[in-house]
Amino acid sequence: MITKKRLLVLMKRLWALPTILLLSGCNITILNPKSTTGEEQAFLIRLSLMIMSVVIVTVFILLIRFVYKYRKSNLSEGYVPKDVLGNKKLETTWTLIPVMLLAVLAVPTIAITYYQSPVSDSAAKKEGVHVEVVGEQFQWTFIHENEKEEKDELVIPEGEPIIFHLYSKDVIHSFWIPELSGKVDVMPHEELIYEVEDPEIGSYDGKCAEYCGIQHANMRFDVEVVSKEDYKKYLDE
Amino acid sequence: MNLSFLGISKYVPSDVIAAWIFTLIAGLLILIYIIKKRKLPVIWDYLTTTNHRKVGLMYILFGFIFFARAGIDALLIRSQLAVPNNDFWVMQYEKYNEVFTTHGTIMIFFAAMPMLLGLMNVAVPLQIGARDLAYPFLNALGFWMFFSGAVFFNIAFFLDSAPAVGWTGYAPYSTSEFTPGPATDYYVFGVQISGIGTVMTALNLIVTIIRHRAPGMKLTRMPLFSWAALITSTLILVAFTVLGVALYLLMFDRQYGTAFFSGDQGDPVLWQHLFWIFGHPEVYILALPAFGIFSDIITTFSEKRIFGYPAMVVSLALIGFLGYMVWAHHMFTVGLGPIANTFFAVTTMAIAIPTGIKIFNWLFTMRGGRLSFTTPMLFALGFIPSFVMGGVTGVMLSVSAANFQFHDTHFVVAHFHYVIISSTILGIFAGIYYWYPKITGYMLNEKLGKLHFWLFLIGFHMTFLPMHITGMQGMPRRIFTFRIEDGVNATNMISTIGAFLMGIAIMVFLWNLVKTHTTGHKVNADPWNGRTLEWTVASPSPEETFNPMPVITESDAFWYAKKSGKPLKTTNELIASPIAKPSILPALMAFSLFIVATGITYTWNWLAIGGGVMFFTIIIIRTFVDERAEVYGKGENDE
Amino acid sequence: MNSYEAELFKDKKLGFFIFLAVEAVMFATLFANYFIFTPADRGPHPSELFEVKTVVLTSFFLLSSSGTLLYAEKALEAKKSMGMLIGLSVTFLFALVFLGLEINEFYEYVSQGYGLSASVFLGAFYVLVGLHAAHVTFGAVWMILLFIHYKSSMPKSLFFEKFKIFSYYWHFVDFIWVFIIIIVYLPYLI
Repeated sequence: MITKKRLLVLMKRLWALPTILLLSGCNITILNPKSTTGEEQAFLIRLSLMIMSVVIVTVFILLIRFVYKYRKSNLSEGYVPKDVLGNKKLETTWTLIPVMLLAVLAVPTIAITYYQSPVSDSAAKKEGVHVEVVGEQFQWTFIHENEKEEKDELVIPEGEPIIFHLYSKDVIHSFWIPELSGKVDVMPHEELIYEVEDPEIGSYDGKCAEYCGIQHANMRFDVEVVSKEDYKKYLDE
Repeated sequence: MNLSFLGISKYVPSDVIAAWIFTLIAGLLILIYIIKKRKLPVIWDYLTTTNHRKVGLMYILFGFIFFARAGIDALLIRSQLAVPNNDFWVMQYEKYNEVFTTHGTIMIFFAAMPMLLGLMNVAVPLQIGARDLAYPFLNALGFWMFFSGAVFFNIAFFLDSAPAVGWTGYAPYSTSEFTPGPATDYYVFGVQISGIGTVMTALNLIVTIIRHRAPGMKLTRMPLFSWAALITSTLILVAFTVLGVALYLLMFDRQYGTAFFSGDQGDPVLWQHLFWIFGHPEVYILALPAFGIFSDIITTFSEKRIFGYPAMVVSLALIGFLGYMVWAHHMFTVGLGPIANTFFAVTTMAIAIPTGIKIFNWLFTMRGGRLSFTTPMLFALGFIPSFVMGGVTGVMLSVSAANFQFHDTHFVVAHFHYVIISSTILGIFAGIYYWYPKITGYMLNEKLGKLHFWLFLIGFHMTFLPMHITGMQGMPRRIFTFRIEDGVNATNMISTIGAFLMGIAIMVFLWNLVKTHTTGHKVNADPWNGRTLEWTVASPSPEETFNPMPVITESDAFWYAKKSGKPLKTTNELIASPIAKPSILPALMAFSLFIVATGITYTWNWLAIGGGVMFFTIIIIRTFVDERAEVYGKGENDE
Repeated sequence: MNSYEAELFKDKKLGFFIFLAVEAVMFATLFANYFIFTPADRGPHPSELFEVKTVVLTSFFLLSSSGTLLYAEKALEAKKSMGMLIGLSVTFLFALVFLGLEINEFYEYVSQGYGLSASVFLGAFYVLVGLHAAHVTFGAVWMILLFIHYKSSMPKSLFFEKFKIFSYYWHFVDFIWVFIIIIVYLPYLI
């Protein structure tokens, strides 16, 4: 029986490990984004993970302690458990503390979400570099402000807000460049607007994230973030 | 492989051929067994039964068979994803899409749901002192509807036309413009028919719990599993009805030329709304019964009353209620706008609060108890930390701006498997181990049970813990291949190994079943030293129960009666009970709907009409062979 | 009805009310669907299509059939079988007239080229009103069965129960029709 207990304890510890690893996670893609938009999202991910780790640790400690202390083999023969109907104070505590933790999380969530959510209002004129994104089975077309078109390769300048106008020619796709920022769905018969702020120079992978058919896995595109001058040159090419 | 038959040559993939061969051989062996052991009367008995324990047993048995099939699908998925640029068997492109679709659909609708409904069928009437479910005939009908829907869905694969639209069936991809042919219709009708059956069973459970509790069994004295069954059933009534309407509209889009979900007039987001108004409560439909099972198991093996019973009931109800306010958190990226996105983020976070209350109340039920680590208890102990981990990622996903990154990646896959496996699947196994004596009269082997638990738990964490990282590295879900430079090689490999470990755990469980029935021994009515009424009834529970009827004076009355050394009080008062008479009609009714579905799928209108005529004819026959006719019009009354 | 039967009847009543609640959810979702898609950008505008005369006639027959059924119920409770049979027969006839009018209405639309696939508005109209018509048809067949049950050797208390359950169904179907008038027709007739 003792070895089993030990195994149980060991298991719990093993589960805790990756959480710690995640917190320090230096090389995980979406925690190290290359744009302001992505950084705000990564901040929320780290914050929520940290707050939630408090919950996990509490539950694990209590579970291990109770299981260890009140196991049958640890108790004397004549031990009879006392019935406890409940405890108002304790129950209020574990209602209120989560409420507070969630409130801490909710405030930045609302602030950032409010600002970042994709919108369908095409009248909203925003300053920045506009790129039209057209999804279809199974390729991407990017149309720049001077009507320059390219398939499956997106070139954008660094350090400026990039405003994507996305729509689909057939089914729903989803436009995602994990290293830059979150995804936005590409809907048929509806244009969505999504903004990525200040991307850094580099080459990134873009993917379709909404299942769209037989070649969904291969519906990828390349992203080049270049300097402003290079972008001008690219447009004139 | 090219097969030719009667001059028609057709390409048939090797996995379909393998499945045919396997099924034919297995079927033949079962047939030989049935004939040799003269089991045909038993089959007929179960085909016509309306007894709650037998219907429950069939629910669990067939749920488990479909669980095995969907489990094999999962192993095929994991084999294909084991290494980058993999070419495993035929599992690329369309085949892979089919396999993840059938895996999801079967696991949710034809494995998890029926096994939970089966456990409710077995345990709820016994826990509350009902002699059967309120409508035994409807109960059998509900089961057979599930069965024919599930078989209809599963047949698609054998005809090489398995659906490939994902278990969510997102429009416009699921409309006939993009997926012509019968495959998607198998999804529509399979889910529709079994969904109607589920609504019937839920209705039945509600009436049973409200009307057929033993005298003195107030709602506030009812075991928590029965409470969970009651709240789950009310959720089912709304959720599955909305799904039914969504499928009804999709059927019109696919078959009769409307365009609700596609084209310039239609609205694909409407499908998503309808689907998730069903889909999110569905998560709680799967989780709440498991919460109930764990509550009962934890109290039994802590030898202690549940901590904070009122809070447990209220939080069950609150979770169910909030479950209807959060559906759009599956749709943060479709452009609902900032107001909707923040609203649904906050309501989603709010669900964590009642869930937290439950977790701590379970922990404090164990505090000061006397814990024995039986197999059901181990599953309950494995559930608590695993479920908290799933809940935590749930809160992370509710952060809508962060969700733009997480959405539709393997992080989400990891999250919902954490939640559903740790609650529903561990709960089902716990329930099966716990109530097995009540269902069959045998006790499952504890040693093998513990081995099953540890293998399954380790395999489960091995599969899904690394998957969080896979997702955060940028791997979307529902893709059949990835590149070496994507940085997800190691985590995918570990997930695959973990999945096979879970497969081995299921083999141990099967071996346990075989061993128990060949060398096991029968047990008495109360093998676990239980607390609730089902342990006063013989194992397996007979068709006539609670005669005389017990009178309940407190919750866990049986436990306190045992402690005080006095038997439970009983009454000989005549109590109106459900009338269970065997009938073949439920199976035939469900079969006629199967025919209708086949007819519409292949636009053989004569067949669809024939099936419909059969269905309504049986309803008419049913109105003339009402078992109530034998009970009514006797005794004191008549004009 | 003795007390044992009364208990079983209460079971059945509760279950049937829950069933009707499920039906209500189903219709509510279809009403929402209709509300979203009507009027459509293409195809006929509902106000060009709907006619006051048809709506008034169908409504008159269906809604008054609730009254005649109520009369039959009262007669049954007073053990006047003649009154019950007459009430039920009139209800049945009204149901048939209603169905005839509705089929005629659908037929007219379709013959103008406005079928299921003409526009999303028409699609939403047919899947909603058509499903309601299917309920009326089901109820009409149910009434035939009630006549046969009445003639059969079924215990009187069981017949009473079956009749009661049917009447709940029929009043519910009428109740849905009221919503169809308010949501489907009325906004485009005034």
